[in-house]
Amino acid sequence: MNKTSSGPVRTAILIVLGLIWLAPVYLLIVNASKAVDAYDPAAVWKPSGFSLFTNFQDAWDKAALGGTLLATTLYSVVAPVLAVLIGAAVGYAIVALRLKYGFVWFVFIFGGTIFPLQMVLMPLFSGYASSGLYDTRVGMIIVYTAISVPFSAFVMRNFFTGIARSVFEAAVVDGGGLFRIFRSIYLPMAGSALAAIFILQATFVWNDLLLGLTLSQSESVRPIMPALTGLQSTYGGAALPTVLAGGLLVSLPTVVLFLAAQRFFSRGLALGQF
Amino acid sequence: MSRSTLRSARTGGRVAPLFGLPAAGIVALLLYLPFLWTTYVSFTDFNGLGTPVWSGLTNYKAMFSDPDLVGALTNTLLWVVGMVTLPVVLGLVIAVLTYGHRWGTWLRLPFLLPYAISGVAVGVIWGFVLQPDGALGQVLGFLGLPGAHTGWLQAGPGNTLMMIVATSWQAAGVNALLFVIGLQSIPAEPLEAARLDGAEGFKLFLHQLWPQLRPITTVVVGLSIVGSLKTFDVVWVMTQGGPGTSSETLALSMYKETFVLNNYGQGAAIALFLSLVTFAASVLYLRYQLADGDSR
Repeated sequence: MNKTSSGPVRTAILIVLGLIWLAPVYLLIVNASKAVDAYDPAAVWKPSGFSLFTNFQDAWDKAALGGTLLATTLYSVVAPVLAVLIGAAVGYAIVALRLKYGFVWFVFIFGGTIFPLQMVLMPLFSGYASSGLYDTRVGMIIVYTAISVPFSAFVMRNFFTGIARSVFEAAVVDGGGLFRIFRSIYLPMAGSALAAIFILQATFVWNDLLLGLTLSQSESVRPIMPALTGLQSTYGGAALPTVLAGGLLVSLPTVVLFLAAQRFFSRGLALGQF
Repeated sequence: MSRSTLRSARTGGRVAPLFGLPAAGIVALLLYLPFLWTTYVSFTDFNGLGTPVWSGLTNYKAMFSDPDLVGALTNTLLWVVGMVTLPVVLGLVIAVLTYGHRWGTWLRLPFLLPYAISGVAVGVIWGFVLQPDGALGQVLGFLGLPGAHTGWLQAGPGNTLMMIVATSWQAAGVNALLFVIGLQSIPAEPLEAARLDGAEGFKLFLHQLWPQLRPITTVVVGLSIVGSLKTFDVVWVMTQGGPGTSSETLALSMYKETFVLNNYGQGAAIALFLSLVTFAASVLYLRYQLADGDSR
């Protein structure tokens, strides 16, 4: 575009808007850093003192974030990895192995994204309660994997479609087994797509509230977002800086991941994941 | 095709279902099966124990007659209208202002940051900002504006509107990014021609850019509708649907009916209703998206 597109008016508007956007983040950081005793509700804009790590510690203890952090990390890593592999396998079957009625399979699996979570919550709760999966880490991993599979299958099928047929034929002529071709040729080629899916799904799992709220209750199983809302319910007392410190703490991993992998996020958006 | 590849295609055909089975299996078991059960339960008086007894459309009628549920329906509608206007317009403004700007990527960053934060954290932050005499009130007081002592979240429909503002804070950046993707797909020549003809600023936008942004706008609006119908996290954290049920959304009612009141049938009916509306909205924008793909 031409020079006027970086004009001072435009830049000024963007800077003012940007500052307004950052104001809540500023308030979060400043007030999460205040000592609980020194917190003054009439002066929230003014920074005072630095007790961020004490507040982190309090949030950690009171919301039992320690145990839940371990569990949530486990879910956010294991479930997306499983989903990526399962999605890649079906993508490979449809594209490379020319699975019969491949498009029907694809529509069936991708159709899993259409209905909102509300549609499956109650039966999952009942089913988990009667099968002993309720309030277990395995149960949480299974449900997060299931939710992530349709999107993963969608991306992997599209990605594998872009790989020349001759790659597969050459591998077969070389005498590779179908599983070996999948593992040592197709998966390594899909590195960037696998990473993009992984990052998006890990963020989804980390940020989930509804499934965690419904399918777990104990401190060692319950994911981090429901745990934080538990801390929030003590709202109103002196613990406000603690609550905010908790909110900051649970946001750090996804914000860091986001900043480190911005292009993956953009790509995921272009693919239609919201 | 040589004989060996033909043979491999046959072997592949036989083994292929094994590679597809895990995906189809887990989706069938954890998504489709529950979907069917919820659909059935929505036509019954099931309360979680015993056997469901068929009750026809009773649960659906309640959604349009029970005052609390009608309130939730109205709030959900408010969310849909709010989310297809506020964050979409903001996103468009941010996209148009940053697109082609020398520091565009950096100036967009503040708007994208909230996207990396969870709905729960957004609720925590804005619950704090909107406290009576809190951060927002203090700014209004400092500027001598009215409303410094307002309890933003203490009455409907104001509480819903403020939560729409909070969610717009999170969603505008993503919409801006989608609009930027749309702007990037617009060919440069007609724009340059229009510029040479003397079109500038708002006029250029209205006559040249806006018509070409229609397809991506449909996508953004479609995604906003689908997202807003499911609004749960922010409301759950900020008001729990209250005071009373004044800020309850259908997604929240579904949760409460099912897991608090053990009214499984009612919860299921709300879920199915939400699904149908979501599905209709998705079809609408996906059709546009696909049609757009065909025309290229």
